[in-house]
Amino acid sequence: MALLRPSSRSRRRKADSGGNRMWIWFMLPGTLWMTGFLIASLILVAVLAVGTTDELGNPRFGFDLTGVRALADPAYTEVLVRSLGYALLTCLICLLIAYPVAYTIALHGGRYKNALIAAIVVPFFANYLVRMYGWSVVLSDDGPVLRALRAIGLADGDTKILNTGVGVIAGLVYGFVVFMIIPLYAALERLDVSLIEAGRDLYGGPVRTFLFVTLPATRQGAAAGLVLVFLPAMGDFVSAQLMGGPDQIMIGNLIQDKFFQGQNWPLGSALTMLLMLVLLVGMFGYLRRTRKDEAEARR
Amino acid sequence: MTLVRESSAAAPARPAVRPRRRRGRADRRPRVLVAVTALFFALLYLPIGVVALFSFNSEKSLTVFGGFSLRWYRAFAHDDVLISSLGTSLRISLVAMAGSVVLGVALALGLVRCRTRLGSLAGLVMLVPLITPEIVTGVASMLLFKGLGVALSTGTVMLSEITFSISYVTVILRSRVAALNPEVEEAAMDLGATRWQAVRLVTLPALLPAVLASAVLIFALVFDDFVLAYFTTGVDPQPLSVRIYSAIRFGVQPTINAVGTLMLAGSVCLIALALFIPRLFGRRGGLDILSGE
Repeated sequence: MALLRPSSRSRRRKADSGGNRMWIWFMLPGTLWMTGFLIASLILVAVLAVGTTDELGNPRFGFDLTGVRALADPAYTEVLVRSLGYALLTCLICLLIAYPVAYTIALHGGRYKNALIAAIVVPFFANYLVRMYGWSVVLSDDGPVLRALRAIGLADGDTKILNTGVGVIAGLVYGFVVFMIIPLYAALERLDVSLIEAGRDLYGGPVRTFLFVTLPATRQGAAAGLVLVFLPAMGDFVSAQLMGGPDQIMIGNLIQDKFFQGQNWPLGSALTMLLMLVLLVGMFGYLRRTRKDEAEARR
Repeated sequence: MTLVRESSAAAPARPAVRPRRRRGRADRRPRVLVAVTALFFALLYLPIGVVALFSFNSEKSLTVFGGFSLRWYRAFAHDDVLISSLGTSLRISLVAMAGSVVLGVALALGLVRCRTRLGSLAGLVMLVPLITPEIVTGVASMLLFKGLGVALSTGTVMLSEITFSISYVTVILRSRVAALNPEVEEAAMDLGATRWQAVRLVTLPALLPAVLASAVLIFALVFDDFVLAYFTTGVDPQPLSVRIYSAIRFGVQPTINAVGTLMLAGSVCLIALALFIPRLFGRRGGLDILSGE
């Protein structure tokens, strides 16, 4: 045994360096694939934003700021501001809806917890288009939602949801609320119930206990949910198309238009870069926030 | 779980200091919360239910149910364009599934086991698709193919879908690989297996449930994907979701209800299957597949 041990150890060390080489070979195909197809193509978008296209519509690279300069057009600024507003409102509404739902399931779901979460998650991963199409039927002028609202007197004959900003936001919320529920549920499930009890034992009312105990403990889940909803909501173009009218278009619709109907690819690329820029700012804010939280937790 | 733990495990251990009345009040399910949750579930399923219900409508209307009929399913079965799109979608999903699972599993193994700078760089590259909105990925892929002079076709959709799916497979698999004990592999090697044999005979079989689950999930996600397919598809054989998109844009067509119902049913089954596969192997199954944690 004593004789064997050093030799097996040295053999293992040798195998380790050989193993590292093997693991690099494992990583290489996937990483190269993604670098080639994704990273390179993202760089291409940035390059084409300052390029032009030939008569056939094929990209031609050069240095031409027409596309970037066109972004200064107030019409585009308006669309960008509207998209930001819609996406932020969507985040807020998703938080307001997802919190009570996740809370109820996590703390009062009992043994049905997993089944209830699965019942939310499974349809959300089913076809997005068909769901949005069904939602637009439900919100239509004589759909069930408006009929119910009319029956209880909250709407009259002229109230519309489709072709309004409310409709677009409703579409975005329906499309992405699950991305808020999952992290919130995970945070609430991890929450130590005795903390809530302690809050009550210290004579905090339910509201104060919630504000000073539950809410701070789930702040990171909420922050993750906000980012996860903001990213797809900001880039969405289906909701504005199905639920909105010409006055509700978002930046995604503009990009789609420039690449398909308008055939102005440099402008489309510039818009895509603008969208990425907004999202990167959001991501950066989130990362700084979580880093600060982590630093505070360590202290 | 939490509720059960609280009342059965924690309560007997705690001396009866707390007044009983308050405890009962705290444990009662708040009616407002339950009502909000119930309303949420109703609104979540209403659109899906409407599509399914009206797919069986004998009339063309989307608001008046005229009676049960399979008219629109028959119309779908006789629609050559939609049927060929279905075939295209199935082919794309199968190829994307195979490609992304092979690349993604290898990447996950490498990322967990390899402690070099290249490893952390690969980890960053892998995150890019997850934080990029689909429309950006779509635009970028389309420009790449156009820039290379490749005509858009079913093949370009397959390539882009693989690119996008690798990250999902890797995220799902990475935590599973990290949970494996590397000493088992080392034991296999001490018993005379080569590195590669150890991976093939010891590690991969242990990962099989997660690999299968991620394969099923990717198949469903790619089949349902619309944005990436929309930007990278050619004109003639188009994936089903792109056809549905054009149909929805140009007004109501009841056939779409039938196709949509079939697609919803298909993907719900597949996703449920993906959640259930780890259980078949006697492991804790569940939603961690979706979150990767």
